[in-house]
Formats: sequence, C-alpha cells, structure tokens
Amino acid sequence: MAIVKSDVSFIENVVAKYPTTKGGIVAILQEIQEREGYLSPDALDETARLTGISVNEIYGVATFYSFYKFNPPGRHVIQVCLGTACHVRGGSKILKELERLLKIKVGEVTPDGKFELNRIACLGCCALEPVVAIDGKFYPRVTARKLPAILAEYQD
Amino acid sequence: MELTINGQRVSAEANETVLKCALRHDIHIPHLCTHPSLPPFGACRMCMVEIEGMRGYPTACTTPAAEGMVVRTETEALRELRRNILGLMMLEHPSACLLCDRREQCEEFRPSSEKVGRTTGCHTCNNKEVCDVRKLSEDLGFCQLPVPPLYHFRPLERSDPFIDRDLNLCILCGRCVRVCKHQHDTSIIDFVGRSSISRIGEAFGRTLLEADCRFCGSCVDVCPTGSLADRYAKWFGKPDSWAETTCMFCEEGCALHVGLEDGKAVAVRAVDEDKPLCVLGRFATAPFMNGTERLRAPQIRVGDVLREVSWEEALTRASEKLSACKGGAFAVVCDTSLTLEDRYVLKKFTTDVMASPNFIISVPDGNGRAKASLPDGVTAVLTTGDFLTETQRDALDVLVVQDCYPSAILEKADIVFPAALFTETEGTVLDCRNTARPLHRLTTPPGQARTDGEIITALAAALNTSGFPGNDRATLAEAAGIPEATLYSKRESVPAAASNPAKRSAWFRGHNLALLVGGLKSLPADGEPVAAEEEASLPTFVPTDKRIPFQVLSKQEISPNNHEIIFYAPAVAKKAKAGQFVIIMADATSERVPYTLCDWDANEGTITLIVQEKGQSSRKLALMRTGDTAAHIVGPLGTPLEIDNYGTVVLLGGCYGIGAHIANAKALKAAGNHVILIVEARSHYLHYYQEELASVADEFIASTIDGSNGVKGHSIDVLLRRLKTGAKVDRVIAVGCPFMMKTVAAETAEMNMPVLAALNPIMLDGTGMCGACRVTIDGKTKFACVDGPFFDAHLIDWEELKDRRNAYSEAEIGSLLRTEPVEHAHHAHGHGCGCGKS
Ligand code: SF4
Ligand code: SF4
Ligand code: FES
Ligand code: FES
Repeated sequence: MAIVKSDVSFIENVVAKYPTTKGGIVAILQEIQEREGYLSPDALDETARLTGISVNEIYGVATFYSFYKFNPPGRHVIQVCLGTACHVRGGSKILKELERLLKIKVGEVTPDGKFELNRIACLGCCALEPVVAIDGKFYPRVTARKLPAILAEYQD
Repeated sequence: MELTINGQRVSAEANETVLKCALRHDIHIPHLCTHPSLPPFGACRMCMVEIEGMRGYPTACTTPAAEGMVVRTETEALRELRRNILGLMMLEHPSACLLCDRREQCEEFRPSSEKVGRTTGCHTCNNKEVCDVRKLSEDLGFCQLPVPPLYHFRPLERSDPFIDRDLNLCILCGRCVRVCKHQHDTSIIDFVGRSSISRIGEAFGRTLLEADCRFCGSCVDVCPTGSLADRYAKWFGKPDSWAETTCMFCEEGCALHVGLEDGKAVAVRAVDEDKPLCVLGRFATAPFMNGTERLRAPQIRVGDVLREVSWEEALTRASEKLSACKGGAFAVVCDTSLTLEDRYVLKKFTTDVMASPNFIISVPDGNGRAKASLPDGVTAVLTTGDFLTETQRDALDVLVVQDCYPSAILEKADIVFPAALFTETEGTVLDCRNTARPLHRLTTPPGQARTDGEIITALAAALNTSGFPGNDRATLAEAAGIPEATLYSKRESVPAAASNPAKRSAWFRGHNLALLVGGLKSLPADGEPVAAEEEASLPTFVPTDKRIPFQVLSKQEISPNNHEIIFYAPAVAKKAKAGQFVIIMADATSERVPYTLCDWDANEGTITLIVQEKGQSSRKLALMRTGDTAAHIVGPLGTPLEIDNYGTVVLLGGCYGIGAHIANAKALKAAGNHVILIVEARSHYLHYYQEELASVADEFIASTIDGSNGVKGHSIDVLLRRLKTGAKVDRVIAVGCPFMMKTVAAETAEMNMPVLAALNPIMLDGTGMCGACRVTIDGKTKFACVDGPFFDAHLIDWEELKDRRNAYSEAEIGSLLRTEPVEHAHHAHGHGCGCGKS
C-alpha cells in the first residue's frame, strides 16, 4: 500500500489554527490523523518543522494516547471485543487465534495491508458474546473454528 | 529563612527546595531523579519527607523551603515507604544482585564487572562502581521484591556511534530527557508510550544519529543506571581520579574533566556541567589519546623502510642531515595545535639554530585541513604533522617529522619522532577569543613519545647549540611573553560544535580525525566528504540441503545474554561424550574459546552450545546469524564425565551450565542413577530449557536469587536444605561460573561427599601443549583441557584460578575498545525489536 505523502499545505493550515502547546499538538495530530488515517513520519517531521517542537517530543506526546496510529490502516479493520461478557466467553482466545492466523500482533496491520487487528473494550452487543466486528459488520458467537471462513469473506 | 530538619535548625536560601537546603547542610535525603544541574522533576518519589502541617509525604525535591518548617527525613515509616517504592522500581530492572545473600563474597571474587552484551545484574553492569540505585538499595536495606520482576527484552541499541543503550535497565527517571532539553533546547530523546511500555527514545524508533543527536554525551553522564553508556569507557569502571585541562581539538578552549586510570585518560566530561562539550572533546579524546596506532618510538629511514631506533640515534641522524642545510633551505612547518611554549621553541630553533626565516604556520584550506605553502628554495623541512602535499614532499631532500599518528607523509620521512600531545603536555594555548588556556600533563605518553618542545630542545643540543632555551615552562613563558592562563570552566555559551556535530573540526595536525576515531566516521563534519555509509546488507539465509561444516543452523537468544547456537559439525557430533567441550574460532582472527557441548545429534551432525556474550570473542559468536560459518571448531576435547551407577547424583547448574547439564543428566540417568538436577539463575527470565531439563532428570528444581521462580536462593542452598533433612547424596557435579562452583566447594568442604566442578580457564590449543589452561589441583599442576574439565572441587586452588581468569581482563577491555557501532547489533529489525524498521 502506498504511503500517503503528507499534504504540506494541509498541515500548515492545521498548525496555524492551534497554539503550539502540548494541548495544541494533540488537536493538530488529531486533525492530521482524521485526514490521513495515521501519523506518518513525514507528517510529524513537517509538524515539528512548523511548530518548532522537536519531532521526538511530538512523537512522545502522540504515543501517550492509544488513539493515534503510526502505521497506515489496514483495508479491513477487525475489532475483537474484550468487554467483560466477551472476555468470559473466550474473547481473548479469539484474539490469540486471529494473531496466529494473521501472523501479526494486536494493533498491527498485515504486511499486505489487508487486515488490521484491534481489541476493543465493548461493542455494546454483549448478548452476542463473543463478538468480532470487521469493518463494522458484527459476527456473533464466534469460535476459533469459524475464523478462517470469516476471514475468507474478505478477498480484496 | 530558617527551618528545622531532623531537629537541626538550618537556614535556607531564597527559592531553595527542602532537598537542596538539606543537602547543603550535609543532611542526606535519598533521591534519584533529581540531578544538581537540572530543574526538579518529582518522578522517583524517593525524596519523600514528613513536614509538620502538611498532608501525606511531600517530595523534598519539589517543595520549597519555608520559614519555620519542621521536616523529618529519616523515620521508619519513610524508610519503609522508600523501600517499597524502590521495590516497584526494581520490578523492571535486573535487580537480583541487589537481593543476593552472597553479594559480598561475589564482589570479592570478581571485583570488576563482566563485559556482557545484556546486563542482567549488577555484577555484569558497567555502572556498578558508581551506581546510585545500588547505593540507595544498600542504604535502605532493600531485600525483597513485591512480585516477580519483568524483563522487557528490549533490543540492545548498539548501532549508534559512541553510545550504547540497554533500556532494560532504565528506571524512567527522565534525567536524560531533561538534560537534553535543558542543554540543547530541543528533545532528541523523550518518553515514548505510556505505563508499562513507556521507554525513552526517538520518534519512530530512529537511532540517535537519525534523530540528529549532537553526541554531547550529557545523557550518558547524568543517567544513574547502566542504561546509557559510553561504549569506549564503559568497562573501565570508575576512574581512579579526575583532573582538568583544556581541549586541543579546536580553538574553543573548552575545559575538560578527564577521568584517569593508570596514567591513561579513560573518560571525559565537561567541567561546566551546564555547557556540554562537542563530540570530539567528550567522546574522541580518550580513544584518540589511547589509539593503538600512536607513534611510539623514533624511526629513521633505511632504504625503503623506517626502522625503530633509540632517541640518541634518531637525534644524531637528524642533526647530521639538518646541519648540512641551515639557512633559507630549511623550514619548520607546524599548525596552531601546538602550545605557545612549543611554538616559541620551534621558532627559536628555526631562527637561532637553523638560521632560517622560514617558520611556517600552516592554515586551514577550504576543507578545514591545514596546508603549508613553502617558499622557493626550501629543500629541508621539519614538520609537526601531515601538512605537505605529495608534490611538496617529493621535492624535498630532507624531511623530519614529529607527529602522533602515522600518515602519508611518513612515506617520505627520513626521521620520525613520536610526539606527545594534548593531555600529555604542559603549556598554554590561545583560544579563538585570544584568551590563554592552560594545558596540564595528566597522562603518560605512549612508548617513548616526547613533547614537541622536548624534541626540539634535544635536537638543538644534538646540533651543538649553546644558549638554547630549556624546557622550563616559567622561563619560556617569560621569554615568549605568554600570558597567565585560566581554565574556561564557566563557558558563556555552548560551543557551536556541541549543537551541531558538523561544525566540529575534522582535522588535527593534518590527520583526518574520522580515520583515527572510528565513531566519527558516521558523523558529518564541515568540509569532510561524508564517507558513503555502507549499508550493512545482511544476506538472508536460504536453507539448502547442502550444509557446510561449522555453519550455524540456528541461533537464538534463549534468555537474556545467553545464546543457543546449533552448529553443523558432524565430526564432533559423531564422537561427543557427556562433559566434553569444543574450541571455537568465530573468525580467522578471533580468540580460541572453549564451549561445553550441551547436546549433539550424531545422525544430524549437529552440536548445541550455549554462548554467553562476555567479551570480544563471545560477542562475535553471539552476533552470528543462521547461515554464517565459524572459522573453526575442534573437538570433542577433554576427558568425558565418568559415568557409573553411583546412586543419587545431584547436578548443580548455573549460567551456561544449565544447558551443559542436559548431556550429563542423560548419560547419568542411562547408567541407572537417580538424577536430581538443580539449576539456578538470578531471576525467572534467565532460566531456559526448563522443560527439556525436567524431562532428562528424575527430579528437577529451579532456584532464583530473587525468588521469582522455584526456590529462593542458589542451587547449593537447595542442596544444603535437602541434606539437612537427611537425604543421601552420592555425588555432586557443579557446572557454572567459577564463583558458583567455588561456593559449592566451600559449602560442602566438611562433608564426606565427592563434588566435581567443571573448569574452563583460558585455553589455546586444547591438547595439553601450551599450558594456558593450567590449574592447580591438590598442589599439583593439571591441564584443564586434557585432564579436565572435571576436577575434585575440594582440591581446586580457586584463588589461583581467579587470578588466572583476571590476568587478561585489561587486554580484554582493550579489545572491546571501540567507538563505532557494533556490527549487526540491530539485526533483529522487524523481528520484534520494536524500532519500527524493517
Ligand atoms: S544499574 Fe547496574 S549496578 Fe545499578 S542496580 Fe542496576 S544492574 Fe545494578
Ligand atoms: S536512560 Fe537513564 S537517565 Fe534516562 S530515564 Fe532511564 S535511567 Fe533515567
Ligand atoms: S528526587 Fe524527588 S522525586 Fe525524585
Ligand atoms: S589449552 Fe593449551 S594446554 Fe590446555
């Protein structure tokens, strides 16, 4: 997957909107991520140049929040629910199995950019435990054995 | 303003914190994150105190002292609290050595730390001799971890010049982050991530170099742990003494604080704590002064080659040559990196002795390299460095060189004098502001090197000159009108090169410094063509059916600093017996080192070894990758372990010995023994092979020093407890570090029970010829390579063994002395090293 070359004028505009304080940085990064999907080295280097704050410090701020991503998102986002209900019904086993099948760790994207594997605290449909959502589509009562078939639905 | 601390009335200055005030009055309050040159931070909570009228336990480092305050710093509640905080901090730090009951004996047996890759405890830590954490732990009587510790297995960061980082030791005190920001007004390092994955680092896992680090070394200097280290200085330990002088690498005139050991400079820091040095002063001084290439003896040309001779002979030859070319045909060429005194002597020599007007100070050309232009008719030159072009050199009849390092100019030199310099000389230099700065003679020149002034004075004497000024500094200073010099110990500003390494000077006496101090190669410098960075291309190993002897078939770090390597060595595998070892040479020039055979497979032709990175040779092995081939493996060597049915045999293992017992246990069990295997490690994460071990022994017990896995204590403690209950043991075999085996011997000395220990001293041939592996058993000399490795532990002369092992410790440090990145250090990219690169 091609890495988005950051849009410099866009970043310039965003930086101009906020103060160059830690709080301001958080807002700036949020806008960049909304537009580009993640925080690329290019985007942060550019933000650093424009704000005069070192890129290492900006990265430090960004990594403090689990909300920011530093890799291009996968084409399909898998969310494994680990809320209480899903957890007791083996949500973490499902997550482990997905890690094994996709050969990535939670939070990572497969090398071909196809899947991104995330955990989530609750998807709000506890009756369907354990739940997995892919691109917003819910799969109820998932078992490890069902996973290969579910993944096979996503071909592109 | 007055306050009371521990019942003592003390006065506080305005804006002083309680901690500062207490320390100023010699009242000690423990503190870790506070550093005298940094603003308070309040991260470690170690400095908590009780203040009347204040709730809870405020931190002394952030609380301003106030009139009438009543402070208590040493109550039992506070000590308990601090112990607990330290306990939490030590959960993510290799802390077992702090908790060990035998640490004093250990310290005595191996006073200097071992030169490992990964530090897994104080006795292998480069920071051991100056550690704040260790000191604190002792003061507080710290003796227990609340829960088992965690080892993050963060990759060693050794791919930057000059700086090694092992963030597994980091306690997140933030001193390094703060000093970087404070001194450079930017952050090259910062905290990355949060909570338990928080660490210090650069954006996107960049290296320091990629993040534009200045390599001022301040982070290394303030780090209270062994996490950040000066690659060159780290294994020297604490210098014997510190002294001050002026840096000679450029004309900034920075004052250097030089750490000295045995007449050598081993470490350098800024005298002005607030104004960092540039990379040259901080990191290049010691390697430059101690360089193995330094010129050590006078030489004269004999035909095509230069031959080392005595000073007398060299001086006579020089005077013969020079007396024939007095007047305008002679010139002295030097640059400004000489002391004013030496320059005066050289000038005097030119005009008074050689009757020549040609005293030439070469000036830097566009590239910063000093070059001289010679007047017409000059046929004889005395130069203090490489300042002449090839054409200029070739046109000369006589060339006398006095210099510190070899260079191209020696190809034409008739006579070479080895020159002492910098920390080896006394004198005065002028800085770029025209202020006189003092140089002090702190270190011993290499070999027979003499200072430039001494050389010229001797040469003048050889030329029968009378009335030539001697080398008395005071007289010289007066004659030459040299002003009183003062150390630049409070700088007005940071030197330009400390904010930008490219601004450093690249040349010294006509030498390209990057060629003399390896670490500089990766740093750009003004006017110096950047050496094209050879991308260490690591060929990927494609497994084929064709195996090459001595090839690495698999290699993994099975526990921190312990590497399991499986070699293809069919001839060894075919004949191997339990207890035997092999001698390996990693490459054609490396040492020959013995390694015990842990396991082997005669059908597959493979042997399995456990290699601990502990120095230059084992590092080479530890850095090998699957598919690489060792230069040579000989074996199996040594007398196999005697196997018989003894009854109950206890095998005690530690470090590499854990793996080594696999073969021993298998063989003993096959002979009908009841095999009890007890293995020890400092902490749970250092244990390896547990399942395999459990399957080859009748009973398997693991022990840890910090109690985080199995029984708390050493393996011998487990055995002693067993024996107390009346258990019968017919034989004990200990394999591990000498300290562990010695302890086993000492603890069982009074018992009537055979105890064997496996000795592996330094070996060379491994066949009983060289005598390198001599050990004394019951007063008789034995060769460990053929008579051993197993000997009666009670009859071994452990003290002698210790001395023999330490005999080469200095040479071993010497062989590790490098400033450039350790090759392949980052080969784990993309395999969980977490640096973000692939
Ligand atoms: S930094 Fe090193 S010496 Fe200090 S406590 Fe840690 S391991 Fe021990
Ligand atoms: S690396 Fe050293 S100075 Fe930096 S935070 Fe860790 S322990 Fe503190
Ligand atoms: S010294 Fe006060 S909190 Fe660290
Ligand atoms: S190694 Fe040379 S005699 Fe033993």
